Amino acid sequence: MGGYLEVAGARVSYGELEVLKGVDLSVAKGEFVALLGSSGCGKTTLLRTIAGFHTPSHGAIRIDGRDVTREPPDRRGMALVFQSYALWPHMTVDQNIGYGLKIRRVGAGAAAARIAEVRALLGLDALGRRKPGELSGGQRQRVALGRALAINPDILLLDEPLSNLDARIRLTVRHEISALQRRLGITAVHVTHDREEAMVMADRIVILNGGEIAQVGTPQQVYNQPASDFVAAFMGAENVIDLDVLAGGETLIVAEGPHNRRAALSRQGRDLASGSAMARFRSEAISLVDARGSDGEPGPGVLQLEGVVGQVSYPGGLWRHVIHLGERTVMVDAEHCFEAGTAVHLRIRDDRLYLFPRS
Amino acid sequence: MPVPFLGLLLVTPALLVVTLLFIVPLASSITGAFDVDGNFGIGNFQKAFELYSSDIVFTIVIVLLSSVLIGLCSIAIGGYLTLGNNPRAVSILKWLYRWPLFIPFIVVGQILRTFLAKNGLMNSMLMESGILTAAQTISFLDWRGIVIAFVWKQTPFVTLLIAGAMASLDRAMIESARNLGASRLRILVEIILPQVLPTLLVGLILSFVTMMSVLSVPLMINAQSPTMITASMAFRINAYGDYGVANALGVISLMTTSVVAWIHLRQTMREHR
Repeated sequence: MGGYLEVAGARVSYGELEVLKGVDLSVAKGEFVALLGSSGCGKTTLLRTIAGFHTPSHGAIRIDGRDVTREPPDRRGMALVFQSYALWPHMTVDQNIGYGLKIRRVGAGAAAARIAEVRALLGLDALGRRKPGELSGGQRQRVALGRALAINPDILLLDEPLSNLDARIRLTVRHEISALQRRLGITAVHVTHDREEAMVMADRIVILNGGEIAQVGTPQQVYNQPASDFVAAFMGAENVIDLDVLAGGETLIVAEGPHNRRAALSRQGRDLASGSAMARFRSEAISLVDARGSDGEPGPGVLQLEGVVGQVSYPGGLWRHVIHLGERTVMVDAEHCFEAGTAVHLRIRDDRLYLFPRS
Repeated sequence: MPVPFLGLLLVTPALLVVTLLFIVPLASSITGAFDVDGNFGIGNFQKAFELYSSDIVFTIVIVLLSSVLIGLCSIAIGGYLTLGNNPRAVSILKWLYRWPLFIPFIVVGQILRTFLAKNGLMNSMLMESGILTAAQTISFLDWRGIVIAFVWKQTPFVTLLIAGAMASLDRAMIESARNLGASRLRILVEIILPQVLPTLLVGLILSFVTMMSVLSVPLMINAQSPTMITASMAFRINAYGDYGVANALGVISLMTTSVVAWIHLRQTMREHR
């Protein structure tokens, strides 16, 4: 992919602590990329490095082939929307939105027209003369976005812009932002720790772990083909069991264990050698059957685990079961409720089972 | 014991101290200002204006000028502490600027007297370095010396207040302005200053009142006429035992500080609304 924004081998340290340990990233023009990771993974540092608030000790930042590594933040054609919005409380909505224009010495008429345009774009029409203190969280968020967009940046950087909003508003604003980004065709880099937010908004997701990129891919790729145990767990496959695997050609044979039957699974491009393996799966990726009614044969390409229901709850939609597999417990969501104490079979299709060598 | 009574009992010592040590002497000074040979009258004020009107103007002008300079210096120092790029320079400045806070006014007067006099340290240094000749030297031991002493002594106090207010601002507010291309001076004037203005005002008002009451600096630095109201009051009492005129000067001084106190109160009320 032709990179419009390129991060090449960026290393950033805070004193002794290296926060980014050599990050390579390429973002195409008009693309929406989400940087996803838990707190402390370096995602905000990466964004701030792109924005120019940190200078990498090694590596480079390039925009359209131009090296901007040592350029100040305002010479990069980027605008950053801050997590706290960082609106100036003593200025009105219009003054906040128009500040970048004022600094660029845009004439009063042109600036007023641009401010009105941005206000209309973000549905802030009636609020131009209000101060940030008189706005709701969602409105403030839009003003922050408007202030960034007013200067027509080539790249829009978003630092967890939705994390301070109510859960309900957040869902709508998500769609508003990604629709706006597509309409304006602007290149965007979005930092978030919310998996679903990244999935819904981004064209591509960059998963960071401990200052390094764990995986880059489309939402479908990172969700369905996690490259590592970390990514699988981060993308919601939190159930984990140990298996013994015999790898041969296109087939992986799972040896019979204390809680699982022998199974023949297709390899599906998995890079796995024979030996002890870790298997991860999502709670909703399983079919649950009563052991008494089960014929015992799950069929080809399906792994069957045998356990006992420990606890049942109803979070809405599906029943959530805590199932004991000896010492281990896994979570399984099912349409029907199985009483605590019921012996059950868990059947997992091999395309929903993520296998990694035991480290 | 009933609770309301207990509460009253607890505030009684504080109330007594305030009444006996503050309200009573204040009231007696104010009434004393209107006491002309045992009768009520404004003779003391007439005399005070007749003899000391230039001192009154001198005092107000000097204190106002000092306040303005203190404001400018503390904005500059606070701004550099908040926006400075060189961490070493920032930490040196942070360590240095507070020193005058711990030096009494009388010592400030003493130090500056030896420094600013016609044959003082400053002029000797300028002569040594060949910038001035002995004929060109002038003494700063007049109104300029007082202003220098006040600014030197009070800037750290106001800086302490506004640097704290500046530091408590969300850093992202500064970064978002930088992101849009604002220079540091612009960020200081357009983003930071408007938000710390109430704190700056409080600092300047407290400094104003402090400077109005300093006796040692005018005595040490400016032993001539016109001088500050405090020096005139001390002179009136020590030389003539004339409490009437001294009290009248005190009331005039109090009226001046009341004006700024009123500004302060109005500001506080506005903030709490």
